[in-house]
Amino acid sequence: MRYVVQPLEGVLLLRKQPIGDSMYKNFRRLLVIYKGARGPFIVSQTFLAFSVLLNLAIVALNGTLVNDGVQQGNIEVVISTAVWMIGLTLIQTIFALGNSLYAVLFAEGTANFLRVGTYRKIQTLSFGNLDRFRTSDLLVRLTSDINNVKQAVLYGILLLFQAPFMIVMAVAMAIFLLPSLLWLMIVIMVVVSVVLFFLLRGVQQMFVARQQALDGVNNVLQEALAGVRVVKAFVRERFEMQRFAKVSNTWLDAALSPAYRMALFVPSLQLIVYTGTAALYYFGGQGVFGGTTNLGEIVVFSNVLSMVVGPMAMLAFIIPFLESGEASCGRVFEILDEEAEIQDRSTAKPVDVSNIKGRIVFENASFGYRDRAGKTTGLVLEKINLTIEPGQTIGFLGATGSGKSTLVNLIPRFYDVLEGKVTIDGINVCDLPQRQLHQIVGMALQESVLFSGTVRANILFSRPDLDDDEIVAAAQAADADSFVSRIPEQYDAPVSRRGTNFSGGQRQRLAIARALASRPPIVILDDSTSALDMATEARVQEAVQGLMSSSTKLYVAQRISTVLTADKIVLLEHGRQVAVGTHAELIQTSPLYREIYESQLGKLDEQPERIASPLAGQSMGGTA
Amino acid sequence: MSETTPKPVAKDPRRRKGGADSDERIELVPTLRRLLSYVVHRRARFILVIVLLITSVLLSALLPYLMGRAVDLIGARGDLDELARIALTITGAAALYWICAWQSNRNIQFLAQDALFRLRTELFDHIQTLSLNFYDRQPIGEIMSRATNDIDTIDNFFSRGLNQLLTATMTIVVIVTVMFILNVTLAVITLVTMPIMLGVALFMGRIAGPAFAQLQAKLSDANGFMEEALAGNKTILAYGQQRQSGDSLEDLSVGVRDTGAKAMLAALSVTPIVNVAQNSQQAIIALVGSIMAIQGEFGFGTVLTFITYSGQLQSPVQQLGQIYNTILQAAAGAARVFAILDEGPTVQDAPRAQDLQLKGGHVVFTDVDFSYVKGRKILRGNSFEALPGQKIGLCGPTGAGKSTIINILTRYYDVDSGTITIDGQNIATLSQASLRQQIGAVLQEAFLFSDTVMNNLKYAREGATDEECIAAAKEANAHDFIMQLPQGYDTMLTERGANLSQGQRQMLTIARAMVANPKMLILDEATSNVDTRTEKLIQEGLLRLMEGKTSFVIAHRLSTIRDSARILAIKDGVIVEQGTHEELMAHKGLYYDLYMTQFRVRPEAATG
Ligand SMILES: Nc1ncnc2c1ncn2[C@@H]1O[C@H](COP(=O)(O)OP(=O)(O)OP(=O)(O)O)[C@@H](O)[C@H]1O
Ligand SMILES: Nc1ncnc2c1ncn2[C@@H]1O[C@H](COP(=O)(O)OP(=O)(O)OP(=O)(O)O)[C@@H](O)[C@H]1O
Ligand SMILES: [Mg+2]
Ligand SMILES: [Mg+2]
Repeated sequence: MRYVVQPLEGVLLLRKQPIGDSMYKNFRRLLVIYKGARGPFIVSQTFLAFSVLLNLAIVALNGTLVNDGVQQGNIEVVISTAVWMIGLTLIQTIFALGNSLYAVLFAEGTANFLRVGTYRKIQTLSFGNLDRFRTSDLLVRLTSDINNVKQAVLYGILLLFQAPFMIVMAVAMAIFLLPSLLWLMIVIMVVVSVVLFFLLRGVQQMFVARQQALDGVNNVLQEALAGVRVVKAFVRERFEMQRFAKVSNTWLDAALSPAYRMALFVPSLQLIVYTGTAALYYFGGQGVFGGTTNLGEIVVFSNVLSMVVGPMAMLAFIIPFLESGEASCGRVFEILDEEAEIQDRSTAKPVDVSNIKGRIVFENASFGYRDRAGKTTGLVLEKINLTIEPGQTIGFLGATGSGKSTLVNLIPRFYDVLEGKVTIDGINVCDLPQRQLHQIVGMALQESVLFSGTVRANILFSRPDLDDDEIVAAAQAADADSFVSRIPEQYDAPVSRRGTNFSGGQRQRLAIARALASRPPIVILDDSTSALDMATEARVQEAVQGLMSSSTKLYVAQRISTVLTADKIVLLEHGRQVAVGTHAELIQTSPLYREIYESQLGKLDEQPERIASPLAGQSMGGTA
Repeated sequence: MSETTPKPVAKDPRRRKGGADSDERIELVPTLRRLLSYVVHRRARFILVIVLLITSVLLSALLPYLMGRAVDLIGARGDLDELARIALTITGAAALYWICAWQSNRNIQFLAQDALFRLRTELFDHIQTLSLNFYDRQPIGEIMSRATNDIDTIDNFFSRGLNQLLTATMTIVVIVTVMFILNVTLAVITLVTMPIMLGVALFMGRIAGPAFAQLQAKLSDANGFMEEALAGNKTILAYGQQRQSGDSLEDLSVGVRDTGAKAMLAALSVTPIVNVAQNSQQAIIALVGSIMAIQGEFGFGTVLTFITYSGQLQSPVQQLGQIYNTILQAAAGAARVFAILDEGPTVQDAPRAQDLQLKGGHVVFTDVDFSYVKGRKILRGNSFEALPGQKIGLCGPTGAGKSTIINILTRYYDVDSGTITIDGQNIATLSQASLRQQIGAVLQEAFLFSDTVMNNLKYAREGATDEECIAAAKEANAHDFIMQLPQGYDTMLTERGANLSQGQRQMLTIARAMVANPKMLILDEATSNVDTRTEKLIQEGLLRLMEGKTSFVIAHRLSTIRDSARILAIKDGVIVEQGTHEELMAHKGLYYDLYMTQFRVRPEAATG
């Protein structure tokens, strides 16, 4: 199956093919991937042609067997013809098997190509694109839609060219053998074409609608499964069942409408053939009685007609596959055509990651999220100006929704700023290749997602080449070693989807270990200790300071205690940076900071000595 | 890509042991019988289809006969009117045939889709009844694969195969019957190649059957991988692991391709081989028949008739060959669907489960032991009591077992030993629904649906009104930010609420619990991602909600639980201290240590 080009390369090829709005335009676009496969394709179709020709020969021999052999009682003819028939059949089988082999390889190869190509394409998308796609929709495209394309390719190669081939043969025979009844043949062909045209009109849209209904089904399914704890917590199983029954029912209807249409297919074609035969006998009979035709011609004609029936039934069988394959192919292309919001600029220059110091500068950076239509809905960050020196520890504080996560997400360029710029060591992040940027910035996202596999695989996520000592060092810094080493399997302990078999705090610590493992010059922990108890958090922080002493460390936090020791604390409010400074400075200059401080650690003027001797007061608890 | 590269989403070693997964031999006949029961379910329709099919088969047997008469008539230079009559009869029969065939097709499609609908819904409904334990074990992408990929194979069989199967079988039965009536000897000869065909089909089935089962398992693996990776794609992106993730999928995908090719090849090779048998059959009849005719056993006319019949058998027999692979595939898919349907929930309502009668909310844990995985005790010998209306605070290092206590209180899992009672009723004897309906929980992981904000709030309780939801949102301090969203309460959230900040998601989940207005409340780190000023505002609402209700509050920010009537400090699955804040502070144990750390600030750092 080598002849199918490499998926990613192929996807690029696919992108270069602008094809107008014409019949099977998606399939025609897909044909590009068979560029290197012309040879095998021709071989497969030659096999098919031979197999069809041999089949015709066998039919002809059958005629000889009957007319010259059995009817004449000529046993020698019977024997020789029978032997020929069996022999040719065996040869034909070989050709047919050869064609099957190619068809299967082509079909499975195409499916694999599209699956891998589409998946890799999705991997090139950015946060902004991912915000718009639902997992379940993507999954349907990667499975059901690609399966539809596969079946279309399979039956296409197996049968598609066989049908026209046989029809052409039949027509040719009609022209040579039945000059007087040719008109009838033409009438039948015209009627067939007209009927086909009407039956097929709009079918493709029906198939698209069916796949869209499937998206709906898959979405309810996926969410009900992923959110099972919520479903159970509110005892909404019954509601989910109704919801599923509804989308499932929509799918039922959407699946039935093309199916009902296709149910008309074979019977209608047969009706035409039978009616044509009736007409043949009537007009042909007239001709025979009138002496313009003979019986032989009529018999041949009805043979020819029945030769047409076979391939037409075959067409009727594969056309639904082709139509639904075409519809699905279009849906797959929708993803392949999606432009990644963030792409490496052509001017992007690779840098030596190990030379990065980690100086981060925000210059007048503003940002707003886009809605589904791609329009910016309003600024989430406004004119951020911030300089972070290499090796510094920076804390970000601010109310929920004030834009802390958004701000740190701009550093690894998960989103592009609308105005201004973000630089690392003086290089605009837009001028760094993304791969390198992601090596420079080690980030624990606010939502700590672990993947199924082992603890080791999760910590090693970004750097599979690390040795055990380094894993343990990272795990120790994140205070994950303490609990991992108590699991019997240790670092080979299984992790299930999203890490649900670990407690919230354990998950966060594994996520921190993952961010630290590669010792990046810039570490960002986005509220990564929110599920840790104070003692653990303090331990983690201390260890991180030790392990990552030369890295620039950015902490987003809710707890004052997390950022108290930072070189600089940045206070955000409604997307604006309202205060920047050390704890000592801010406590003096920023009323907002003071308010946050007091909401957590008690009134400052009542307990002025607390900072110096923190264990002194019993009354310094929260005010909540 | 090298073999040593670990997968970004590595294989879970436990996955293969999953009860619902089976690479084992599929019992073809029982599986199919069970599958067909979904179609036969609509008896009247099914009988209608059979009648229509028989009619159309008979008509398609009648039509050649009529055509033969026409040819004879033309050959004998008969009457043109007679010929016209026959031609009209053919047209009439054809029209009747058209209606029968069309309607039977249509009804089969209905039966098929309806059966699939029921199977799908039954599967979903059944999954809803399963316990969390099932979800811990079964990756959801794989469950989805059963509901889609596996049901797809059944769809193929029902909507394409079933029709052909019925038509082909009936055609064969009719023709073979006629043959036996005409001449037993020749009929037997005609059927002599049958065993060969059957043998070939069975042999290929031995290869294709297991291969199809394997294919479905591999598809499901790939689906499981993709679901997880796509749902966590931002993490993959953040670590620049896109290529590796693609490589892993490619491995899986190539496996699907190769298994699929093997299965399809084995299945497809049945058709040409059946063809050989068919064509040889005609030759054999001609040969043997002619010899016997020469010996005077019967006339050559009989031999001719049999050759014709044998020709008519050709296409249905070929079709059977094709259907065979559809059947094998469907059986493989169905076996996997049935495996889930046959799985029972581990947490079950007792046979005569009572509804919880929640009066004051007096909760008593007595000697409770619990483990998620056999042999690894998470909770050990825990006893405590919550008096009606008390606020119970739970704290302790991460992984101590706080969430686990909540999980067993709402019976997500059953305890290993010990008892939990609420107002004197052992929860093991209560219905899960009544328990959870009255105990509202804000879970540690804030999960929202991709729906509007309003619908997410309404989720908490059937029949909740807009006003109630807005009031709850105000109590949870979520109203302000909701109003700032582009469409307010009608704003669509994306998957898991990813277009909100984490703290905003938590506020929504709190509002959602408020809408439920439960009689008992559990807050598991409900405000961990919310800043303290906002939290203070939320607390006021929560206090109102919790007034007079027994509540359990888990928090690391001890200010949140300081005012609890009783605080449980948990360590390594054991409640090591319990008492009020003052008592525990005086005790100078775990709680004291935890409490003091939040103020333990290194002086040099604090000043600069
Ligand atoms: N993907 C997104 N699409 C649209 N809007 C978003 C998206 N992510 C965040 N927002 C909005 O942007 C604002 C800032 O969100 P952000 O996540 O940066 O807040 P945050 O400061 O990190 O809050 P928290 O402390 O709760 O995590 C919020 O109002 C939020 O609703
Ligand atoms: N579904 C599960 N399957 C197996 N083990 C689990 C599962 N859930 C939790 N555990 C394990 O049980 C222990 C207790 O977990 P639990 O979630 O109760 O901790 P917690 O006290 O809530 O911690 P945190 O403060 O981090 O949320 C942990 O060691 C965890 O790894
Ligand atoms: Mg955030
Ligand atoms: Mg927990």
